[in-house]
Amino acid sequence: MDRKKPGRVFTWSCGPNLHNLVGRCALRRRALRQMLRIVSSVSRPSSASLLAVANRRNIASTSARQADITLTVDGKEVTVPQGSALIQACEAAGSPIPRFCYHDRLAIAGNCRMCLVEVARSPKPVASCAAPATQGATVFTNTPLVHEAREGVMEFLLANHPLDCPICDQGGECDLQDQSIRYGSDRTRFHEIAGKRAVSNKDLGPIVKTSMNRCIQCTRCVRFANEVAGVEDLGTTGRGNDLQIGMYVEKMMDSELSGNVIDLCPVGALTSKPYAFHARPWELKTTESVDVLDALGSNIRVDSRGVQVMRVQPRTNDDVNEEWISDKTRYAYDGLRFQRLTTPLVKGPDNRFVAASWPDALAAIAAGLNRSGATANEIKAVAGHLADTEALVVLKDLVNRLGSDNLASDLAGKYGNAPPVHGVDVRSNYSFNSTIPGVENADAILLVGTNPRHEAAVLNSRIRKSWLHTELVVGMVGTRADTTYGYEHLGEDAKALEAFLAGKTKSEFAERWAKAERPMIVVGSAMTEHADGAAVFGMLARYVAAQGSRVVRDDWNGYNVLQRVASRPALYEIGFVPSRAAASATPKFIYLLNADEVDPASIPANAFVVYQGHHGDRGAALADVCLPGCAYTEKGSTWVNTEGRSQLGRAAVPPPGAAREDWKIVRALAEVLGVDLPYDNLVGVRDRMWAISPALVRWDGVEGTSVEVAKVGLGPLSAIGKKAPSGEKMGLAISNFYQTDVVSRASVTMAQCTRAFVTREKEELNGLGKEPMQAHA
Amino acid sequence: MLLRTCKQAIPISRRVGFTVVRRGAATESTSPVQAAEASPQVETATGPSDVVPAVAPGLMTADIISGAPLQLRHRSVRVYQATRNTMQSGGAKGERWRIDFDILQGGGRWENPLMGYASSADYMQGTRLTFKSQEDAIHFAKKQGWDYYVQPPTVKRIPPKNYSENYLYRPNKLRIAKTK
Repeated sequence: MDRKKPGRVFTWSCGPNLHNLVGRCALRRRALRQMLRIVSSVSRPSSASLLAVANRRNIASTSARQADITLTVDGKEVTVPQGSALIQACEAAGSPIPRFCYHDRLAIAGNCRMCLVEVARSPKPVASCAAPATQGATVFTNTPLVHEAREGVMEFLLANHPLDCPICDQGGECDLQDQSIRYGSDRTRFHEIAGKRAVSNKDLGPIVKTSMNRCIQCTRCVRFANEVAGVEDLGTTGRGNDLQIGMYVEKMMDSELSGNVIDLCPVGALTSKPYAFHARPWELKTTESVDVLDALGSNIRVDSRGVQVMRVQPRTNDDVNEEWISDKTRYAYDGLRFQRLTTPLVKGPDNRFVAASWPDALAAIAAGLNRSGATANEIKAVAGHLADTEALVVLKDLVNRLGSDNLASDLAGKYGNAPPVHGVDVRSNYSFNSTIPGVENADAILLVGTNPRHEAAVLNSRIRKSWLHTELVVGMVGTRADTTYGYEHLGEDAKALEAFLAGKTKSEFAERWAKAERPMIVVGSAMTEHADGAAVFGMLARYVAAQGSRVVRDDWNGYNVLQRVASRPALYEIGFVPSRAAASATPKFIYLLNADEVDPASIPANAFVVYQGHHGDRGAALADVCLPGCAYTEKGSTWVNTEGRSQLGRAAVPPPGAAREDWKIVRALAEVLGVDLPYDNLVGVRDRMWAISPALVRWDGVEGTSVEVAKVGLGPLSAIGKKAPSGEKMGLAISNFYQTDVVSRASVTMAQCTRAFVTREKEELNGLGKEPMQAHA
Repeated sequence: MLLRTCKQAIPISRRVGFTVVRRGAATESTSPVQAAEASPQVETATGPSDVVPAVAPGLMTADIISGAPLQLRHRSVRVYQATRNTMQSGGAKGERWRIDFDILQGGGRWENPLMGYASSADYMQGTRLTFKSQEDAIHFAKKQGWDYYVQPPTVKRIPPKNYSENYLYRPNKLRIAKTK
């Protein structure tokens, strides 16, 4: 194509009349009707090439890697793998391409046409997302022709887009706003009497706010819902100018990943309801940190203004959370403002808490320890959900130096008072050994007593991704749950698991499992809190051993325990578990470190109880002295995720009031108790962590367990649980996904989500309902 | 000026013999406000045994001459590459490396009781330095004598994508119903 030819009018891939419209003076009604046709049309590959692709690709395998291809983009030679889209080649060459509908982690739609580029010897501009990169092509991304084409597209997009920017929450981080600076016109040719298109807003629940007039129909949200979240009833209706996005019926978007559509939306059609009108992006200070509300360790960015966390955004990390985070991760942050402990509290003689200074509170604890007469194993420490690794290490050192081994955790019921059934000597016994990206390599997954959708929502989306794109089959033993992918239900109890492992189950999944090259067993952490826990871990260990190198071998470790609580992998890593002797001792002094799920019945009436944590929740109610600690956005600390990946969280805002970093509180208490701990700064604590386990301070990496050690770890497990299982149903570890810890229980948004999606309470619009509408206050 | 230089140079030269295993991070910090409040005793302890950056041989740290406060040496900086904002698709500035300070506990920020503005006793909380490469950033931190740690950038793994995959024939039961 001759790019220099003056006055040449390009034609579009559809709509024969369009070149007359673009570049002529007025847009008429007809043009408006045509517009959406352009927007939603895509260039299809010829049938011949489609056939060739279908023949070449085997459905059961990932795309066959073929020779790379080389092409020229803006005079720069670039080599990309065969099968890449042209937009990927342009990106690889360092030429940015504007886009609305194309997204790296979603299927290609090709309907916004913003990514038009010029390809030599092609008569028309080419949508670079929908066109494959071809060997030897010469591509230009910055020519007058390309510019004019994109200006045309932008004009059509803006024809129906309201001039809302000053009151739109997307303002400042809007793709349409940014790109219209470059490709938009400064005056309108839109003179319709009827005005702009009007679309009614949809109610997608307490998280996603809609303003559908702003929608440009890029369908990113629809593709996300279809492919990633598994909500297949968010979709489009109508065609052309009448195309609308919605749930088809009056229905909310019930997904634990729904908040991600807010990020995906390139305009302000889907924005965040809890964050609405609270801040502009340029006011925020961003801090890259780690989430702790599940055990996945999703990478997050905490956006704060002043002393407040304003929002939480995902941070892309293909090893952990790709680009998604769950709604709890994203919206539980408002819980950080309510119910906080801001000053040390000491219970007075009338059984009421009285605010105290730090020295007084620490002295009260020392006096309480003396008064209780606790010695050796009668001194007990309980670690809770949100305890960070540094504090755990210091607390363990303190308790050990006081002569006690009674290091419990707040597992359900009495299970926290004894060492967990899977043991903690070898890390592969309690870790997600296949790693999170490794899920995509599995060809058969057996879920035992777990619902990953609620225990690790982002991991669940990986299983769904793999289930959609490969021949993966999933089987489940445990209580039925909606997992967003199909699975075969094998039974509800350990007996069903026993039958399946013994090969007595005849089903399609059993056949596929027997032939699977990379079988993957995922045991839920709830099995350590179950009567049949020993039986389940025992029979699985014996099965893995009997299978030889099928489940555990050099390139594949298919034995996984899915933790659901952020602190527990670190807990087990540092050996924060009671000895057998300690497990039977009756405690007289109990130190609750962030322990809110602790069973009140396990605390003797005359015991002296200290609670250290950031929220006044169940744990604080049990305490004699409360010490205010920091929440995860307020301290720089180490977190270990379910894979054993240690990551460094970072403080974004200062803690409220007199609250202090947790490890410092324990260290200060040690000083008051006269215990000499050999460190008094963070470097010292981390040196101590290094001495316990070097992996704790090798941040951002997973240190896998070797096959030999993994098998040694499974050895003792094979010996336990040989009694016949009781057959108690496995149950669900999490009944309400939105409220699992102190932060999310204090959060208004999470309470609204609970009402909308869990209890499904209907709000009476006439005000005569059972409850006033104060939840929305 | 010369006097101040000498005053500062002496304690530093005394500290040079100290070695710290530089393996990772330290967010140890001390602020004047904290010391005034009733706080755990560990907070006030900032003797010479605190974080002392290992001084690279042949590199004179800038604060000997610049007069930068010694407290900066008790704090650590993070060297990292900011990830793309997931709200937007543009990747501009994504190649740059940043240095910023870990915030101070306690005295870092508070809400001004008069106007509700955010106040701070931390003069580094708003400082964010940008560099073209990791080496540049590390070199700068070394020159300033700051204790730093590097957060490795994540590797992006996007498989080749193809429009035709939308229309691939699948012989088995369909697993997705597209509503686009």
